[in-house]
Amino acid sequence: MSRLRATVTAGALAGCVSIFLALVGLTDRFADLYFVGDQASFGRLMLVIAPFTVGAILAKPRVEGGEIRERTAGAAIGIGALAGAVAGLLLGAFAVFVSAFGVERINAVFVNVTPSMLEFITFGQPVVVGALILVAASTVAGAVGLGYRLLPVAVRKPVGSAVITVLVLGFLQRIVPITLDQLDLERNWLYSRSTGGLTWFGAGVVAAGAAGLSIFKQRKGADIRRRLSSRGTDDAGMNPLRAILLLIVFVILLAVPYVTGKVISEVLGTVLVFALLGLGLNIVVGYAGLLDLGYVFFFAVGAYATALLTGATLNTFTGSSPPALSADLNFYLAIPIVMLIAAGAGVLIGAPVLRLRGDYLALVTLGLGEMITVLIASPWLVPVVGGPNGMRGVSDASMFGFGFRDPQHFYYLALAFVLFAMFVSWRLAASRIGRAWTAMREDEQIAEAMGVSTTRFKLLAFAIGGAIGSLGGALFAVKIGSLTPASFNVFVSIQVLGIVILGGLGSLPGVVVGAAVLVGLPGLLREFEEYRLLFYGAALVLVMLLRPEGLIPNIRRSRELHEEDAAQDKWAGELAGDEHAAVGVSPEGESAG
Amino acid sequence: MSESGVAPRVADVRLSAFERIPWRRLILIVLAVVMGTVVVVGTYKTLTLDDAFSLEGWKNLVVQGIAQGAILAMIALGYSLVYGILRMINFAHGEVFMAGAFISFFFIDAYARSGFLNQSPILALSIVLVVAIVSSLSIAVLLERLAYRPLRNAPRLVPLITAIGASLFIQNAFRGFFGAQPRGYPQPDVLQGTISILGVDVRRVYVLVFIVAVVSMLVLRAFVARSRTGRSMRAVAEDREIASLMGINVDRTVRTTFALGGALAGIAAVLYGLAFQQVVFTMGFRPGIAAFTAAVLGGIGSISGAALGGFTLGILQAVGPQLFLSGFGIPSPNSVRDAFVFLVLVIVLIYRPGGLLGVSDPEKV
Amino acid sequence: MTTVLEVEGVRKSFGGLAALDGLDFRVEEGEIVSVIGPNGAGKSTVFNVITGLYAPDGGDIRYFGESIVGLRPNQIAKVGIARTFQNVKLFPNMTVLENAMVGQHCRSKAGVFGSVIRSGKVKAEERRIRERAQRALSFFGSRLAGYRQDQAAFALSYANRRRLEMARALSTEPRIMLLDEPTAGMNPRETIELRDHIVRMRDELGLTLIVIEHDMRVVKGVSDRVVACDYGRKIAEGTYDEVASDAKVIEAYLGRQHGEDG
Repeated sequence: MSRLRATVTAGALAGCVSIFLALVGLTDRFADLYFVGDQASFGRLMLVIAPFTVGAILAKPRVEGGEIRERTAGAAIGIGALAGAVAGLLLGAFAVFVSAFGVERINAVFVNVTPSMLEFITFGQPVVVGALILVAASTVAGAVGLGYRLLPVAVRKPVGSAVITVLVLGFLQRIVPITLDQLDLERNWLYSRSTGGLTWFGAGVVAAGAAGLSIFKQRKGADIRRRLSSRGTDDAGMNPLRAILLLIVFVILLAVPYVTGKVISEVLGTVLVFALLGLGLNIVVGYAGLLDLGYVFFFAVGAYATALLTGATLNTFTGSSPPALSADLNFYLAIPIVMLIAAGAGVLIGAPVLRLRGDYLALVTLGLGEMITVLIASPWLVPVVGGPNGMRGVSDASMFGFGFRDPQHFYYLALAFVLFAMFVSWRLAASRIGRAWTAMREDEQIAEAMGVSTTRFKLLAFAIGGAIGSLGGALFAVKIGSLTPASFNVFVSIQVLGIVILGGLGSLPGVVVGAAVLVGLPGLLREFEEYRLLFYGAALVLVMLLRPEGLIPNIRRSRELHEEDAAQDKWAGELAGDEHAAVGVSPEGESAG
Repeated sequence: MSESGVAPRVADVRLSAFERIPWRRLILIVLAVVMGTVVVVGTYKTLTLDDAFSLEGWKNLVVQGIAQGAILAMIALGYSLVYGILRMINFAHGEVFMAGAFISFFFIDAYARSGFLNQSPILALSIVLVVAIVSSLSIAVLLERLAYRPLRNAPRLVPLITAIGASLFIQNAFRGFFGAQPRGYPQPDVLQGTISILGVDVRRVYVLVFIVAVVSMLVLRAFVARSRTGRSMRAVAEDREIASLMGINVDRTVRTTFALGGALAGIAAVLYGLAFQQVVFTMGFRPGIAAFTAAVLGGIGSISGAALGGFTLGILQAVGPQLFLSGFGIPSPNSVRDAFVFLVLVIVLIYRPGGLLGVSDPEKV
Repeated sequence: MTTVLEVEGVRKSFGGLAALDGLDFRVEEGEIVSVIGPNGAGKSTVFNVITGLYAPDGGDIRYFGESIVGLRPNQIAKVGIARTFQNVKLFPNMTVLENAMVGQHCRSKAGVFGSVIRSGKVKAEERRIRERAQRALSFFGSRLAGYRQDQAAFALSYANRRRLEMARALSTEPRIMLLDEPTAGMNPRETIELRDHIVRMRDELGLTLIVIEHDMRVVKGVSDRVVACDYGRKIAEGTYDEVASDAKVIEAYLGRQHGEDG
């Protein structure tokens, strides 16, 4: 009976999630984003995603009295269907209620409950019919979800890959077709011009390809991974397979701006700036374990210092005027100075603050970040940074007459800086300093007892992280050419934190991927933009609850799970004899107590 | 292994240049001196200016500060209670407050429109209060159950990040539901106007705020001190493991704590709405941080600390910027007031993390 | 013989409880001194005070004649005092080798710039750190050698974790080691092995050792001298036999005997 209750509860929860999606406006907003053909929109997906997920979760085998009880297929599908039905019932009831109570009256409170939304969730049918369709759809979704989980792995993975790839490509319908156009490749077979999403044919091809890749990975994946991660001696550099892979990635990165066009390059430029910020914060949070919620501080310092040092002027109501202190240096001369200023500021601020414990440190840094956002907009600093009107005329970082403000050029400048930051991070992580940070992160007191000066290394992390953050600010200033205080607020700090966490604390490629997802997607897809923070919040919570290592976990943290198996297999044969010998019996035997 | 030439002598280590100078202490002292000077000079100049702020003006500021402080204190209690029991900062508590304000808005708005609010204000306000309490309480308990309970034994960073995520999520969910437009919280006629107290004209609303806040806090104090649940709360706050060994249901106690904090935030929400008459989905952020500052200022984890900190910070932020800065000709718009609160937070955490009541933090070992 | 460590009249209270109440003892170079006493006698506290985790309320601690009171724990490690902990405190997610390499931190000095460009000097230093760490690990035979070195510390068996902690302390190249209940939780065979390791540390590495122990077999087997404590004060000192038969010590462990011969 408790199983029944669990199933119904799960279904009810799914129903609530579906209602939530509708109320918050996501369902309606994505109603016109089709991923395949002209019926399968993401909005429709929202209606059934909750029951599907719940079905998948319910597929976990029950443990009863210490034994795992497998379910019969029939019972299993029944459970999924029941959960789905409950979810659908709730959603359907919601639709009926809204219709009965009066859409306009509810709209006064819940702004997304509109006639068009109601029409959408009832599939354009009269309400009761629509509700029944919802119940049916949810039931099927729940059953499918559970059934999917019960498939043998060899089938499940390819199917899953296929579906996800289709969804992702459907989602990226603003990016991929444009890229294909730029490359002068035919795209109408893949993306339909009328619906915007994939064509059925294109979807079929994609699905087959993804499934194929998945099968290939299952067969050969372990081999390839092993070859990628094996190394020679430590100083021999990396192994050839990995080097080739990196080279390919590098070439692709170089080609991107010209393949994707100006608009996308512009977004990618922003992604790279945030990736840079993420790399800096990664040193503070990921390596040294200091939670900094005020990272916008270094971003702002970098941006404004660059502006001031490269001859930018203040915007006034009448035009522009020179700031109280300024210099007109070449951008590349200014950069080291900017970094030094940021590092210095980091040390000055860090000294009193870094000895505070985790959550207090977070809030103090938040406070400091807020203070600086107020400061740059305040009337007191108007003579220096222009107050709310801001500044203009930042250098475009031109080198030998080649300016970098053009989005496609800026991309390369930003890429160079990002690669630099990655290099520095990588080297530091593998050094004595990185070891000290890791030790501090694991247990501060013990690290101190082992000779690590925690104050010094915390300050170091803060200073270096701050310097890199200031680089991000400098880049930003170059990109936009003018600065206003509106760009510097707490959301920047939160976004960068989100990037680092989502990408996996301490993982360098993860940070870049995190930036691509959290900054790139909203930049490219308008629908996403509006719900950006909602997704951020949900993503942060979910990542912490389910997978604290983030998307691409830092190798260290999951290394033990993989390498141990391989290593043990390798050594098991060789050391078997040795080990027993070491456990010698002492000649004296055990002395009397 | 121990090559005698390698380890430096004690004298050398002690005198290693960088560590010889107490940098941190120096910076702290310099900062303190600078701030102290600004405060003193600013105050002097403000009070001796030709067009100095009138006594009337100061009184008004103080009164406003007390009212704001009362609200801050109630929200601060939520932070203190949760921190006491879980050693964790519920970053999303500001959103708990916001939820109560927003949901109760719909009710009070309807009552205002239908006239019910002015016909029977006490009944109407009571219902609105209950709605707010239930809303805030529900959000708080949901938060605990979904976001915090699974992470109870995780390293400190994790629940904090979760809290930040939850805060963002709730804020934007409300935005999604109800739209981004600020709403005007109506004020019943009976609360309009002023009353004269001790020769000062005090807005009636402020009087209500003060009374309700003080009563609520006293009730809470009595509850925690005398009731069985309160005892459980104190036990779990002392030592979670031992408390559970003594038969206390830790999960339920934690849930009750969140519920209490939420309830108080709900009451604060209604008071805020009545006093400041604006409700918007971002309204939880600044008061949330301010309330947390108040909790820390008074001494986090302590009920009296939260109350003391609340009132102190309320008055400080109402009067402070005007007092310290207008002497320099610096105007004090709201943003400066916010920065001032942050400054107080930073100062307290750096110089005296234990707050006014000097709460010692056992984790600091 | 030089006095390596001298503890003089050290006092430390927590709240109202006096953990250390005027403790005196000294340790000469090359000695192994055991510190025994009932639980709560302040033994771990004195280690914490010596290594700078707590500041003493009174008294002095001298290392080779110079006072070390007020030094921070990392400075204490730097001058050559290393320790292990009662509850093994490793860096759980770091590998065995990395744990040991952390010990070498105070004996190395690569900075930011050098680490980023990996100059020849830095590379050489890293090699040296690695070698020294491996040497410290190899002190315990093949238990911490070979594939084990790349295992995460949390995956080790209990006994190996204790050994790793000691190896980590050894890799700080100390002159004196403070071992806090090193054999707690070990089975008899492991205990004997460890006892021999302790003696080897003195004989092969020239270390001075202070060992807090409850297992009297170990105390008997390693100690040159034994110091007995109770209520934060020294109550007896001497060879194992002298201390073991000291009436005050017996009373401290067993309670006062009423009119019975000891």
